[in-house]
This record gives sequence, structure tokens and C-alpha cells, in this order.
Amino acid sequence: MSWTGFLSPSWAWLFLLVIPLVIVYFLKLKRPRFEIPSLVLWHSVINDQRVNSPFQRFRKHLLLWLQLAILLSLIVAAMQPFLRGGAGSSDNLPILVDCSASMSAIDTRGGATRMERAKERITELIDEALPGRICLIAVGAGARQLTEFTNNKRILTEALDTLTVRDVPGNLVDGLRMAQALARRETISTVTLVSDGNFPDLQDTAGGQKIARVDVELPFKLQFEKLETDAVNMGITAFNARRQSAAGAADSLTPWDVFVRINGSPDDVTSGEVLLEQDGQEVGRQPIALEAGQSKRLVYSLQTSGVSRLAARIVSDGFDGLSSDNTAYLELPVSRSLLVWCDADLQSYRHALQVFPDVTVYPSDDASGQPDVFDLAITETTRKANPNLQASVRLVIGAIPEDLAELVTTRSGNSLVVDWNRSSLLLQHVNLDSIEIADEPVRGDDVLDQHFREAGYEILATGRSGPLVLARHTPGRQTFYLLFHTDRSTLPYRVGFPVLIKNAIDITRHAAGLAEVGGQPTRVLAPRMLDRNTTYTVSAPGSTTQTFRTGPDGLLSGVPAPRVGIYRISEDGSEVARVGAGVLDAGESSLASADLIEPRDEELRVSASTTQIDTDRPLWPTLAWIAFIVLLVEWWYFQKKTVRVSG
Amino acid sequence: MNTTSSTNQLTTLLDNQALTRLERLRLQPNRRKTNRTQGEHASGKGGSSTEFADYRNYVPGDDVRFVDWNIFARLNRPYMKLYQYEEVMHVAILVDASNSMKFENKFERARQLAAAMGVTALMGVERVSAYVVGASGEPPRVMPPGSGRASMRRLFDFFERAECGGDAPIDGAVEAMLRRHRGKGMAIVISDFLTPASLARPFNLLYSAGLEIFALQVLGPTEIDPELTGDLRLVDSENGTTVDVSSIDELHGIYHEHREQLQEHVRRQSRTRNGRFLSISSEAPLDWVLFDLLQRQGWLK
Repeated sequence: MSWTGFLSPSWAWLFLLVIPLVIVYFLKLKRPRFEIPSLVLWHSVINDQRVNSPFQRFRKHLLLWLQLAILLSLIVAAMQPFLRGGAGSSDNLPILVDCSASMSAIDTRGGATRMERAKERITELIDEALPGRICLIAVGAGARQLTEFTNNKRILTEALDTLTVRDVPGNLVDGLRMAQALARRETISTVTLVSDGNFPDLQDTAGGQKIARVDVELPFKLQFEKLETDAVNMGITAFNARRQSAAGAADSLTPWDVFVRINGSPDDVTSGEVLLEQDGQEVGRQPIALEAGQSKRLVYSLQTSGVSRLAARIVSDGFDGLSSDNTAYLELPVSRSLLVWCDADLQSYRHALQVFPDVTVYPSDDASGQPDVFDLAITETTRKANPNLQASVRLVIGAIPEDLAELVTTRSGNSLVVDWNRSSLLLQHVNLDSIEIADEPVRGDDVLDQHFREAGYEILATGRSGPLVLARHTPGRQTFYLLFHTDRSTLPYRVGFPVLIKNAIDITRHAAGLAEVGGQPTRVLAPRMLDRNTTYTVSAPGSTTQTFRTGPDGLLSGVPAPRVGIYRISEDGSEVARVGAGVLDAGESSLASADLIEPRDEELRVSASTTQIDTDRPLWPTLAWIAFIVLLVEWWYFQKKTVRVSG
Repeated sequence: MNTTSSTNQLTTLLDNQALTRLERLRLQPNRRKTNRTQGEHASGKGGSSTEFADYRNYVPGDDVRFVDWNIFARLNRPYMKLYQYEEVMHVAILVDASNSMKFENKFERARQLAAAMGVTALMGVERVSAYVVGASGEPPRVMPPGSGRASMRRLFDFFERAECGGDAPIDGAVEAMLRRHRGKGMAIVISDFLTPASLARPFNLLYSAGLEIFALQVLGPTEIDPELTGDLRLVDSENGTTVDVSSIDELHGIYHEHREQLQEHVRRQSRTRNGRFLSISSEAPLDWVLFDLLQRQGWLK
């Protein structure tokens, strides 16, 4: 690769202008006439050998040389030459900009944020890379393409101005994959990453450096331009609550244990206080002092009588680089009984459910109090077969999902459980050995386990001819399919059956948030059951609002939560729910920085560069200046030719 | 001292004060080349001056007026008294009036110097003739030989009316003068000597004609130190030929070398013929030239 190149070599045809310039010069060359007494001496001077030296021949047409220098400088400038730099070519340059939570950190008290420094550097990169084409990609929890490939500085600058930090963990892999996708349709030799190096899952190398491994093949050269970091921080990385086991559904006050995990800076000692607020009232305050790299869990005990909103805040004693991780939110649900639907025909299940005191089973004799949405549904019908039955957790007995009808069928026969997933939540502690099953699920010819996974199902138990138990997890819903009917098996007569029901109740309790709740992290709000087919407005921190509509199942999902703060969900102006989101990410709070990035091919390991990388430097401004200076010299030389005429 | 036009002045070329001082000066030739015409330059025995030279025996036919009768009375033999000859010296003044002399007051200064030389010669009882040569092919303007104070007016009138113009080179001018000049003595050649031809031939002609060469070069300040810059097309004032010179300021050093070579050439040509050479600037003060430089160089005394 040569060290220079031209962006517009087609303008080289302008070199033909040299010919008319030379012709016009000699045609129009008009020297001032100066009459002297005699040419005798001047003839002898001109005939002197020294006058005819090569240098004098050059000087003889100095004006022509100056004009040629100006013309050639302008022509070469029009061809837009550039010096190749380390940042790659001047053709297409994607710039990945880290906009994760750590980029809002301040490294020195009163200084600029990392994002502000990144913007300054990117502005320089844009100036240096132009007129090459640049594409800006923001890398937060995902990757967003801010601009197409363009050499329009205004577009790039405007996109850069609108870029803000999102209080989410960074996802470098998504950014690299987007650049990878761009490389399939554009010629990309180098991708520049501007980041503080705070990526998830950093690992230490033998040399004491931190490395970020990304499972991406890089078809281009990755230039990692790392911002200098030196921040001290203390942040909340986990905020959970667990209902005390002694509590019953009938108690008016529900006792909770609240856990707040605080992570300190990996290189500095930090201290401060952690405040816990319940519904706006301070209910706890604990001092905390952390050694370098230490984390500590604080426990608070409190009681609630209904829905209660908690907020944990850190008040640091000294300098705290990242403020967004100093606050976290938690909503404690109201204590209630689990609402379980169990088909009337499933007597064995209804019988097993009777032992749980905080479970209300439907259908019951009192038909008037039947809810629309259940926490758990134990039924013989699939969701598609009975869409009116809404439940977060569904246990389908003796039915095959409609979308698996081509993969598995049921026939009469005698089957045994060959193997099952003993660590799954549903089947843990359930012994399925020696259970006889009258219905035998049979998988189709050439159907592999992979086909079930591709359809979104996880096989929990396998018989001799096919799967017996399947699980399907979708946002806000968990569905378990027993492809055989338990009434035609020996399972209800085994000890494992009530254990299976207990596991289902536990899964349901966790899904309903009645046993343990965790703080809502940023990125995406947890799915929430609301009214069906209803439009809701979500007001995010920063006065931004978005509108979402629930489907026939009443599930509100996919609500982005890019910032720390309270998200208000309202319907027709009236607030129906309020959710607080915090960073809650140990990696972001640690502000640790990667020194290396290792893609899938380890040989392409990329080192961080804190110094400014070289980019293609356009030379046309320099040439334009040279032409201007030569023009001034020519003007001076031309004016200097005035002759002092004597006598 | 510039040309004056005052009515009280004897001539417009020289002021009266300078004329007074010039009348006391005489030309100093290296060798006294005189003519048989009686003049003021002693030229050997047998003359008619009052200066005694020798005795010789009387031979029949001698003028008895020159017999020394006192010797005859003592020795009773007649002896003739011999006296010094006093012959006249011709001073030919040649002024170059070609176009090259038009510049920078050169011709004016040449006329003044010629008049001054003529005055000193006339006051030395020499026969003075003057020639002004301008265009080649045309006869020179000639002032016929004359001597004594009576010729002074004629000398002044001649030079006052002299005009400059033409293309005659100095060698041609010398030949034109010699076609008309008769008599030995000295030739005062006033020119810029800017000629491509060698001066050996004209100086040989002068020398063989019995004329001692006094070469006086008059150059303008621009010729002595040309302060020209840039690219120029130089035009010869005499023949209109041109030469293009680029970056002329870079050639000043070489020009000076060639000018000095020319002056050395003229000086060498003069001295090998017992002549003299002197170069002056047309802007040099006339008083300083006449009463300082020329006397120090031994031209005048």
C-alpha cells in the first residue's frame, strides 16, 4: 500500500493545461525595453560561460516556473491527494461509539464526561477522515446506526450532537456485528471503536491486562481508540427483596428482607451512606466503606401492607465518577393468594393443590369471584385451543402444541421415561423412574431434538419414542407441556407428583413476584399484565413519552428503559403503574476498562490505543496554500522587475 | 561645474574662473612630437630662437649675421653661432559624438573636457584642431588648426555647436580624423570606447601619424554601476539591436568584470604606444577632473 493516494484522480486531465500555459507564456512574454548606450558590454556578459550555467537557464524563465508551480499545485489539489494514516482508508470508515452507562462517568472532579471527550475525538476523526465516507454507530445495550455512510459533515455532526449516554450496559458484540453486516455491502477495511473500554465480562490476562472476548469474526481491522480513564465510583449493582417465609397470605402486614449490593471501585477505597426509602419515606440509612474491588450486601427488614415502592440511594463521601448507578428502584407487590385454574376433570391436581394454604383454585363453587387472569393454569387445552384462559404460567396436560403437530404425535402404547432434566425448575426432585405411561408420544421420522429447539421448545423429559415433557418460555409467560395425560399414567400415584405440583406453584410464585422480587434494570421494562387491547402511554425520564398497545393477552412488553428513573404507565391520562429502573450492572459500576479486545480469531487480538490514531490526512489544503504562497512570490517577483531608468 | 549660459561668460562650456585657471596650465605630453613649423617646443640646434646651442665653422654661403665677431676678433677665424630650434606641436582633439554619448550627460562632459584641453593647448601656443565624429559615412565636423588666444573663440564656438547623434564607432572616427589631420603632436580622444572592435588598429594609425594618444573615457553612472533588475530587453542606442537579459541583477558582478576588462584593454593599447588613458564618470565634478585628477595623472601641469 502506498503512503498516498488520490480521491479524484480523474482531474488529472487538467495537466493538459500546462501546454497552453507554456504557449501563452512565450507568446505573451513581453519584457520592458530599456535603451542603453551600447550593448557591447552586455553582449560580452551574456556570452560569458557562467551566465549560461544550468541555474541561470532556470532563472531565465523563473516567472514561467512560478506559474507552472501554481498550476500544478492547483491541479494536484483538485485531485484531492491524501496521506494514508493508521485509521484506514479514506473510503468507508464506520465509527463505533460506546454510549453505555459508563460513558457518562467523570474521571476528574469538574471535568468532562467520557462521552463529551469521545465526541471531541470523533469530531477530529471526522475532520481528518473527510472527504471519505463515515458511518456513526452507537453501541449501548444494542447497536444503532446513527448515519448512513456519508461525507456530509453537517449530517455527521448533527448525529453526533444528538448522541446521548444510555444508562445501560454496553454490548460491544452487537456493534461489531452491525459493522460486520455493513462490511457485506460496503468496502470496509478498518472500523474504529471509540470507548472507555468498559465492556461486559472482562477477564484478566496473565500479563495483568484486562481483555474483552467477543464471539465475532472480524472481516476488517478493528482500531480500538480507548479514552483515558481514572474514575472512582461506588454503585448499586443489585436490589432485591424476598418475602419472609414465615409470612402467610392472611397476614395484614407482609415482612420482607431487602438486599442492596454495593460495589466499590476496583482500584480505590470508597465510602458513603446507603439510604433506603419506602414510598418516599426514609426507612434505613447505613454507612458503608469499601476496600478496592470490594462489594458488600446490605440487608434491610421491613413490612408492607400493600404495593410498596422502594428506592435505594448512595450518598458518597468523596468523588463519585458515575452518578447514574447511585439510585435503584424496587416495587414490592401486595401479598395475595395465588390464583390457579385447574380443569374440573383434573381431580388429582385439584387434590394436590388443596395442601397449599395461599392458593385459590378455580373453577370453584363461587362462580362470581372468578378472575380474568390467573397466575397458573393447569389445563388439558393449549393456549390456542382456549385463548380466553389467561395465565402467566400454564401447565398443559395431555396435549400437543399445534405448532409441533408435524413433529410429534401420540399413540396408544406403553412408554417409559428414559431421561429427564433434573435441574429444571419443574422437574427438580421429581423421580420419574419406572413410571408407566399409556400414551406414547412419537416423534416423526428424521425429527431431531434440534427441530424442537428451533421451534422454541425445550425438552425436559424424553421417552423411548419421543419427548414427554416440553417447556416454552416467552416474555411474561411460561408454558409446560406434558405430552401424555397423567391420568393414564402411574405418575399421580407416585411421590413425585405432589413435588411436581409444588414446583409449579413455586415457579408461579416467582413469576407473580410474590416470593421474591428484583429491581428493574434498565434496557427493557419487564412485561406487565394489563388490560387487553388497550393503548398505554409510557412516560420515561427526560420527558419522553411512547405509546404501546397490549395485545389480546393483555401483556405490555417491549417497553425500552434506557435511562435511570421512574417510568409512568398511564391510560387516558390516568396513571395505572409506575416502574423504577436502575443500572444494576456490576460491570458498568466498576468502570473497569479493557486493554485488549479478542475476537473469535485470537490472532486478531486488538490492543487499546490511548493515543490519537493517525487517519488519512487530506493534502489539498496544503497544496492550496502552496499555490497561494507561490502566487504571492510571483506577484512580488513581477513587481520587483520595475527598472530604475537612469538619465 | 555645469554648462553656463550667462551672458557674462566667455563660453557656455566653461565658466570664466575655470578658464582663468586653465590658462595657467599646459599639456604634458610624454614625448615632444613637434613639426618644422616654428613654435615653442625646442627641437635641436640650428633654430632661430634666442637660446644658444653651439658653434660651428663658417662655410661660404652662411648668413653672416650669425658669425660671432668677438671670436673672429680673437682667433681671426669666423665661427657661426647656433641657436635652439623651437617647433610647434599639433594637438588634435577628437570627440566621439555617436548616440552612445547622448546618455547621462556624457557628451556634455566630453565637450567641456575637449574645450578645456583646447584652451590649455592654445595657451601653450600649440596648433589645435578639433574633430567631432557622429554618424559613420559622413565627414566629421572639423575645426581647422589654429593657435594662440585668437583661436579660443573659434574653439568655443565649435564645441558649443557640436551635436551628438550617429552610429560611428570610435575606430571609424579615428580614421575619419586622420584623413584630414596633418602634423605631429598629440591626439586627445574623448569617447566611451564602447566598441566591439579592437582599438589596436586606430591607435596604431594615431601612433604612426606621430600623435601621442591621450585616451579619455567618459562613462555614465549606469554604465559604471548598472542598477537594473528583473527581465529586460536591452536596446542598443546606436544600431537598435536588442538583447534579452533575465535576472539582470544577478549579472552585475560579471558586468563589472567585463567593464574593467574593457578599460584595461584601452589602457594597454594606449600605454604600448606611449599614450595615456583615463576613465571618468560623466557625473564627476568638472573642477575636480580638470584641476585635480588630470594634474595628478600628469596630463596637465
